[in-house]
Amino acid sequence: MYRSKNLSLFIIGLSFFCLAASAQNVIEITGTVTDETGDVVIGANVIVKDVPGLGVITDINGRYAIRMQEYQTLVFSYMGYKNQEILVKGDRKVIDVVMEEEKFSAVDEVVITGMGAQKKISVTGAVTNVQMEDLKHYNTSNLSNTLAGNVPGIIAYQKSGQPGKNTSEFWIRGISTFGASTKAYILVDGFERENIDDINIEDIETFSVLKDASATAIYGSKGANGVILITTKHGKSGKVAINGKVETSYNTRTITPQFVDGFSYANYINEARVTRNLSTLYQPVELDIIRDGLDPDLYPNVDWQNLLLKDGAGSYRANVNVSGGGETARYYASIAYNEDEGMYRTDQTLRDKYDTNANYRRYNYRLNVDMDITKSTVLKLGVSGNLTKRNSPGIGDDRVWGQLFGYNALYSPVLFSNGYAPFKFTGTVIEYDDVRTFIGDRANYINPWVSSAQTGYNTEWNNDTQTNVTLEQNLGFITKGLTFTGRFGYDTYNFNSISHLRMPALYTARRRNPDTGEVEYSKVIDTTDMWQTSANNGSRREFLDLLLHWDRTFAQQHTFEANVKFTQDEKITTQNLGDDIKNSVSRKNKGLATQVKYNYLGRYFLDYNFGYTGSENFADGHRWGFFPSYSLAWNIGDEPFIRNNIPWINMFKIRASHGKVGSDTTGSDRFPYLYTIADNGSGYMFSLDDGNYNYGGTFYSQVASTGVTWEVAEKNDIGLDITLFDERFALTVDYFNEHRTGIYMTRNFLPTIIGLESAPKANVGSVFSQGFDGNFKYEQQIDQVRLTVRGNMTYSKNQIGEYDEENSVYPYQNLSGYRVNQVRGLIALGLFKDYDDIRNSPKQQFGVYQPGDIKYKDVNGDGVINSGDECAIGATSTPNLIYGLGISAQWKNFDFNLHFQGAGKSTFLTYGKCVYAFSEGQWGNIFKGMLDNRWVDAETAQQLGIAANEDTGAAYPRLSYGANSNNYRASTFWLRDGRYLRLKNLDFGYSVPKAAVNRLHVNSMRFYVSGTNLLLLYKKFSTWDPESLQPRGEDYPITKAVTVGLQLNL
Amino acid sequence: MKDKTFYYSFFIFSFSLLWLTSCLDLDSDKYFVDRKTEEFVFTDKTQSEQWLAHAYSFLTGCNFEVCSKGGTGGTGGDWNPFCFADDIYYGDRDNSYGDHKDADYASYNSFREGRYTEEVGYNAWVKCYKGIYQASIFIHRIDMLVGHDGMDAEAVEDMKGQARFVRAYYYWLLLRKFGPVPIMPDEGADYTLSYDELAIPRSTYEEVADYISDEMIQAAKEIKFTRRDANNIARPTKGACLATRAIVYAYAASPLANGQLANGQHPDGVTDDAARSLLNRDGTPLLSLSYDESKWARAAAACKDVMDLGVYDLYHVPASNSASDGYPVTVTPYDDGNFSTKGWPDGYADIDPMQSYRQLFDGDVTPVENYELIFSRVSNMSIGDNDNGIGALVLHEMPTQRGGWNTHGMTQKMADTYYMNDGTDIPGMYSEWGGAARGGNDLPRVTGFTERADVRKGAYPELQVRAGNSYGVDVPLCYTHREPRFYASVGYNGAIWEGIGNTTSTQRWYQCFYYRGEGNGYVNNFNYPRTGIGIRKWYHPYDWSESTNNGYAHLRPKYETAIRYADILLLYAECLNELTGTYSFPSWDGTRTHSVSRNVADIKRGTNPVRIRAGLPDYADDVYADANLLRAKLKRERMIELMGEGKRYFDLRRWMDAPIEENTLIYGLNVFQGKAFKDQFMQVIPVFNLSSVFSDKMYFWPIAHTELKRNKNLVQNPGWTYND
Repeated sequence: MYRSKNLSLFIIGLSFFCLAASAQNVIEITGTVTDETGDVVIGANVIVKDVPGLGVITDINGRYAIRMQEYQTLVFSYMGYKNQEILVKGDRKVIDVVMEEEKFSAVDEVVITGMGAQKKISVTGAVTNVQMEDLKHYNTSNLSNTLAGNVPGIIAYQKSGQPGKNTSEFWIRGISTFGASTKAYILVDGFERENIDDINIEDIETFSVLKDASATAIYGSKGANGVILITTKHGKSGKVAINGKVETSYNTRTITPQFVDGFSYANYINEARVTRNLSTLYQPVELDIIRDGLDPDLYPNVDWQNLLLKDGAGSYRANVNVSGGGETARYYASIAYNEDEGMYRTDQTLRDKYDTNANYRRYNYRLNVDMDITKSTVLKLGVSGNLTKRNSPGIGDDRVWGQLFGYNALYSPVLFSNGYAPFKFTGTVIEYDDVRTFIGDRANYINPWVSSAQTGYNTEWNNDTQTNVTLEQNLGFITKGLTFTGRFGYDTYNFNSISHLRMPALYTARRRNPDTGEVEYSKVIDTTDMWQTSANNGSRREFLDLLLHWDRTFAQQHTFEANVKFTQDEKITTQNLGDDIKNSVSRKNKGLATQVKYNYLGRYFLDYNFGYTGSENFADGHRWGFFPSYSLAWNIGDEPFIRNNIPWINMFKIRASHGKVGSDTTGSDRFPYLYTIADNGSGYMFSLDDGNYNYGGTFYSQVASTGVTWEVAEKNDIGLDITLFDERFALTVDYFNEHRTGIYMTRNFLPTIIGLESAPKANVGSVFSQGFDGNFKYEQQIDQVRLTVRGNMTYSKNQIGEYDEENSVYPYQNLSGYRVNQVRGLIALGLFKDYDDIRNSPKQQFGVYQPGDIKYKDVNGDGVINSGDECAIGATSTPNLIYGLGISAQWKNFDFNLHFQGAGKSTFLTYGKCVYAFSEGQWGNIFKGMLDNRWVDAETAQQLGIAANEDTGAAYPRLSYGANSNNYRASTFWLRDGRYLRLKNLDFGYSVPKAAVNRLHVNSMRFYVSGTNLLLLYKKFSTWDPESLQPRGEDYPITKAVTVGLQLNL
Repeated sequence: MKDKTFYYSFFIFSFSLLWLTSCLDLDSDKYFVDRKTEEFVFTDKTQSEQWLAHAYSFLTGCNFEVCSKGGTGGTGGDWNPFCFADDIYYGDRDNSYGDHKDADYASYNSFREGRYTEEVGYNAWVKCYKGIYQASIFIHRIDMLVGHDGMDAEAVEDMKGQARFVRAYYYWLLLRKFGPVPIMPDEGADYTLSYDELAIPRSTYEEVADYISDEMIQAAKEIKFTRRDANNIARPTKGACLATRAIVYAYAASPLANGQLANGQHPDGVTDDAARSLLNRDGTPLLSLSYDESKWARAAAACKDVMDLGVYDLYHVPASNSASDGYPVTVTPYDDGNFSTKGWPDGYADIDPMQSYRQLFDGDVTPVENYELIFSRVSNMSIGDNDNGIGALVLHEMPTQRGGWNTHGMTQKMADTYYMNDGTDIPGMYSEWGGAARGGNDLPRVTGFTERADVRKGAYPELQVRAGNSYGVDVPLCYTHREPRFYASVGYNGAIWEGIGNTTSTQRWYQCFYYRGEGNGYVNNFNYPRTGIGIRKWYHPYDWSESTNNGYAHLRPKYETAIRYADILLLYAECLNELTGTYSFPSWDGTRTHSVSRNVADIKRGTNPVRIRAGLPDYADDVYADANLLRAKLKRERMIELMGEGKRYFDLRRWMDAPIEENTLIYGLNVFQGKAFKDQFMQVIPVFNLSSVFSDKMYFWPIAHTELKRNKNLVQNPGWTYND
C-alpha cells in the first residue's frame, strides 16, 4: 500500500508513552542541510519524529534551528531526496546533513495489483502503473479524457464537448466482445465504481490498469474487460501538508462547423430543385432581397451559430487538500470545485433570474482517516462523494442542438422586428391550446435562440456518497508475514432533475399585406407561464471485501506469497422499478479469490491464481464460475552472466501469462433463467354466445433461458520489460490475444417451427482479438536540461467468430468473420457520367437516379445493385490504434511538457440532415465548403448561370431536394477516415525559486500555462473534429482550452 | 496487550471463516416464489383454460377454413385465399382495378398466376407452430390440475385431449397448405439447442399423416364428449378427432401423396415432376413415389369410424306447405320413383332440400342444434372479422344497390356444374371449353327469360321465394328448374335478395340484375361480379346492410363449417371407389375390425344421404359399376356440395386435377352488355380479367425465405426459390 520511500515514516518508533514518561532537557540544535554536490538545500523539512507540530524548514542558506529534547529523533526530508533520521544525544548541538538524492529504481517501483501492492520486478502479468503526474498536465475535469495516448493498453476517444457529458469512452485493449458490456471493471479503493470521471484527479494516489488474465482472473466473472484500480491518498504522519491548486481555463471549440450564408443557401436550394426538374424555391427578386437583406422579417439572414454560441467559455477548478497526522492517527482531506460554463449566449435580461446556459458544476470531497487501534491494527475510515449540478435550456439541450443544425440562415428571424417570437410558417397554421402537445409536435419550428433563451431552464443534480471502513490486522504473531484486511463499503446515489419550462407567445408571419406592406402575423400559441416537471432516480450499493495475506522469504532465496480474498457486493436500484418484482432484486455478486506466488532469487517468478465468483443473475448450477490463470517471469537481466558482462542492462524480464476471466453482464436483462407468464395473449371463445366462456390467453411472454451464464475470455499475454543505461531507458511491450466465447445474446433466429412467442437468450457469440501495447521512456540530462521522452501505443484488432445471425445469402453480409462494429454499406464507384453510363451499368434499385448520382459496385455480380451488395467497408467506427508521444524538459525552475496523441484505423459513416444536403427539405443547414466540388450538370448550370462540373470524381453528387434514396445511403461515398494526430497537451510551468517562496512560508509554488487540444496536426476529415466520430456532426463540438493555474504547497 | 490482540484477531478470523463458508451461496430463487409459475398456472382451472385458449387462438385469421379472403396484414399477414379456385373468385384487392388496399400480391389473379412471393402466407406457418408449442407445453403440464378447483382426472384428461386435438389439427392445416412439414418433439422443442440441432428437416407426407392419425386417436380417447353443450361448442369432440384423421388419410391416399400417376387417371400434361423434386436433403422423397391402394382402404376405414360413432346425420328440415317471409313453400323435388317415395333417411319425400341446405350455412341453425357439424371455430370468427370471416364473405356477395361490396362471384363452370332438378346436366354444360370431352355436353345453351304469365302460373316454383307474387320474372331460363342447392348457393342474374330485416320496407325483396348500367353490373372498378354470376351461399333472407362501411351490423351470425358430415360421407364413397381388393383395418378404438372393399351398397351409404338431402335422384347403376364414372360424379358432387367452403382448392391439388382444371380459361357472361341486350349478356365468354394458370409450384404453398434461412435442413417446395 505505501511507497517504499515513505516506509520509514511508518516504521514504528518511539511512542508517546516514552515521551510522557521521561522528562528530558530542552536543547537547541542547529545545522546546515546540503546536497551531495555541496549546494545548500533550501526549504528542507526538519521535524522531530512523532512530535506533531514541531518542525522547521531550512532557510535560504540551508540553515535551521530547532528546539527539542534529547533522545528524540530528527527527521530531515526534502522532495526528491531520501529521508534522514538522526537520533539526538550527547552534546552534539550542530548537526549538518548531506541529503542523498533519491533514485527511483525500476526495481523498487511498486505496482498495485488486485491483491495489493507489489514490486514491479516481481509482477508477472500485464499491469500498467500509470504515472499520475503525467495525467495531471491535462486541464480537464474528467480523468477519462487523459487516458488516450497516455496509458498503454487503453483505446479511448472523446465524443462530445458538452459540459457534464464531455467524457471519453475507453476500453482496455480495445473491444473484444459485442456483448452487453465492453466496459472495464473500475475499482476505487477496492470498491466498484461506474466510471472514473467523478473522482477528483488530485486525490488519486495510484492508478493501475490490469490487462491480462493473470492480473484479472481473481475478479472472476467481472474482469474480462480488464480492470482499473485506483487508490486514493492517505495522510502521512508528520507536519501538516496543505496543497492547493487553482486554475482557470478558456475553452473554445477545436473545430466549429461552419455554415453557408442565406444567399448561398437560397441558391443551392434553387439548384437542388432545378436539377431535379422542380421549380425554384426563390424567385430572382427574392434572391435580391436576400442578398441585400431588404426584408429581415420574411427573408432574414441569421448566423445562428454566431448568435447562439459564444466564442468561448470559462472553466474554473480549485482544489485544496490537507494531510498530516501523528503516530496514532493520520488524515487526508480534500475538497475540489469544478465549473464548466456553457457556450450559449443567453438572454442577458434573464441573467439575474435564472440561468439557461449549459453549465456544469461539480464538488468533490474526500476524507481518509487512518487510526492505529493497537500496535498491529489499523482502522481506516473513508468518506467521499461528489455533487454535480447541470443546467440546460428549458426545452432541452438536444432539441436546441437539433434546431441549431436544422435552421438555415433564411429559416426564421431571431425575433420579428416588432418583437414577436417567431414560429416557422409551414403552410398551415394550427393554433395550440396545450403547450405539451405543442412541444411534442412542433418543437423544431421554434428557433434555436428562442429555445435556448426563452423556454426556461432545467437543473439536474447528482449526489453520490461513498463511505468505507477498512480494518487491517497484522497477524504476525500467528505466523510471520500474515495480515488480514477487511473492508466494508456503502454507497448511495441520487439523481434529481427539475425542469422549469415556459413558452413565449409565438407568431408566424404568413406574408406581407400586398396593399399596406405590413407583415401579417398569426398567433400559434399564447404565452405559457412557467410550469415544472421533476424526475428522480437512485441506487444503493454495499460491498464487503476480506483479504488474508501472507508473504515470507526463506533463506533469502525463496519468497512465497499467498492471498485469499472474499468479496461480496450488492447493488440495488431504488427508483423506477416497474411492476415486475425481479427488477427490485439487488444485483449481487460473491467471489473467492486465491493467489499463490513464488520467486527464487528475485529472478524466477511463478504466479498462480484463481477467482471463484458467482452472480445471482444466473440459474442454480450456472451461478458459480472458476477462473484460473498462471503466469511466469524470468528476469534474465539478473542472471550473473548478463549482470557481469553487460552492465548497461539493468533489467531484462520476460513474462508470459495464460488464463480465463469472465463477464457476467446480461445488459438490462435480469434473471434470464426465469420465464414470464402473461395473461394478455390472444384467447378463444368456447361458447356459442356466452362471454363468460371467452378465455383470454395465458402464455410465456418470455421463455426461460436456464443455461445462461457468464461469457469467458481466454487470454494470453507475452511481455517484455527492459530498463537500460542506468535506468535511463525503459521499455515495456506486450503482445496479447484473447478468445472471448459464450457472449450473451438474444437468439433472434430460431426457426419459427420451435413455436416460441419470445426469443430465448444464450451464450452464443465469440470474438477473437489480438494486438499489442507498449510504452517507452527515455531520460537524458543535457547540461542543466533534464529531458524525458515518453511514447506509447495500443493496437487491437478483433474478429467475430460466432454471432447470432441467420444464414445470409452472401457470406460477406454475415457479421461473423468481420470485426465488431464493422462499418457496412455499398461501394461507391464515383458518379454516373451520363445516361449511357447509367444504361451500361447494373441497375440500381433504390430509386430514381441520374447522371451525377452515385454509382455503386455490383458486389455479388447479379447485375442489379440492391441491399445484397452491401458489404463491409472501411474499418470500425471505434479506433483500433491509439498512440501518444510526450516530451518533457526541465531547466532550472522551468518545466515544459508536450504531448501528442493520435488515433488510427477508424472510419465512420456520415449522414443526417446537414450531410445529406436538403434531404429533409429546408430543415438542415449546409456545411460551408461541402458543396464546393459538387456535380452540376450543364443544363442546370446554364439555366442558373453557374459553372458546370461533370466530373465523375466530384466530391458531392448532383444536388437533390428531399429524400434521395439512391445517393443518401450508407456507402463508401460518405465514409470518412477518422485518423488524426493532435497536440493534445502543452504545459509550461515556472516554479518560484525556493529561496523566494520559503520566505512566504510556502514549500513550493508553481505557475503554469497549459493548452489542451490546441492543434490538429494531421487529419483526413475536417468538417468537425474527427476524434468525436460523430456521424451527423450535430453534437456539441470537442473543446480546446487554454489554462492558467497556480499550484501551492504549504 | 498481546493477549488482547490475539483474542481480537481470533474473533475476526473465525468471523470471516464463518462468512466464507456460509456465504458462498447465491440463491435468488427465493425472491421469485410470488411470480407466476407454471405450477400456479396448471393448478388453477381458469389459468389452465386460458393457456388452452391461447393454444386454440391460432386457429383464427389465416387459419380459418371457411371465410372471405383475408385481412390486410401485409405480406406475412392473415391471408387466406384458399376459398377461391376455379369455382368462385373475388374481384377486390386488385391494384389494377383501383383497390389499393394491399399490394398486388393480394389479388385473386396474383394467386391464380402464382405471382405471390415466398413470404406471403408465412403467418399461417408461424401461427400453426406457435399453437403446436403452446399445446405441447399444456399436454405435458396439465396433469398437475387434477384435484384442484374441482377438476378430476377425467375432466383434466378431456382438456389434455383438446390440446392434443388442436396440436394435431395445426399439423393438418400445415400439411394441407405447405405439404409435409417438420414434426416437433412431443414435449416442445428444446430451444436451448444450437441452430444446427434445431434445424429439423421435413418429415414425409406419410409420416406426418400417421403422426396426426396417432395423435387424433389418442385425443379421441382422452376427449370425453361426442357432443358439446352450447358453452363448450367450440371445443372438439371425439368425432372431430376421428373426422380430421379420416380427412388426413384421404389426402394421404390421394394421387398427389400416393404414387402420383400410378393409377393412370390423369390425362397428358399432368406430371409428377413436383413429387419427384420434393426431396429432403438426404434424398428422401417427401411424397410417396409408388402407389399403395391400401391407403385408400385405410382412409375409408377411418371414415367408417366417424360414421360408426352414430352421432352425425345430414342436417334437414321438414317439407312445409305454409310459407312465411324467407321460408317459401317447399318445392317438391323430382319424382324419381325412389327417393321421392320415402322419407328421411331413405328419401326426400318429407324434407325441404333447398331449406335444408341453405339453413346449414345462413345462420338459421346454431352449431348446437346442427347435428351435421363436426368441427367449427363457432364464435371465434366474429361477423366483422376484418375480411376473414363469413360475415365479410356475405357482405362481399351482396349487391351494391343493397349495401354490399358486390365483388365475390361464381364462374360459369361452377354454375354449369349444378344439376338440373331431375339430376340431368344443363344443356350446353361446359360447351365453350370442351363440352362432352370435359364431362359436359355440346348441346346449345338454353336462352330466353321467364315471362310474367308463366311465373304467375307457377311454372317456376323454385324462383318464387315469396308466395303469391311475381318475383321470378325476367330470370334467364337457364336458371330455372335447377337442383335445390343451386337456389341456396347462386346469386344468379335476377335472383331475389330478400333483405327482410331491412327497416326500410322498400329496400326489401330486391331483384338483382347484373346488367351493365343497373347499378350492380359492370363498372369501371372492382365492385361487380366479373362473370355476371354472384354467390348467395351463407346469405340469410333477413340479412341486410345499410352501407358497406357498416355492413356487418345486420347480418345473422354465421358458423364456420370447417368439417361437416357430408364431407366425410363423400370421402367415404370416394375412398371405397378406388379399391380393387378387400382390406381390413382395426377401428380407432380397437374394438372391432373394418372390412372395406368397393361394395356399391357401402358406397351408397356415402353418396345417398348427400343426394337425398339435395333433392336429387341417385346415380344410375352403370355409374356405380364403373369406378371412373363414379369418380367423376363424386368429384362433381364435392364441387357442388362443398362450394365456397375452402375444400375445392385443396381437392384439385390432391387429385392432381389442378393442372387441368385451374389451367382452363375462366368463363362467364358478357357483362359489358346492358339490359337492352340481355340475350347478349347471357352469352358465355371467357373472362379475361380473371386469370387461370397452374404450374407445379402451386401444388403447395411456398415456405418463407425467412424460415429457410433459419433452418438449413428445410427444403423448399417445388418451383419456389430459396433465399439466394
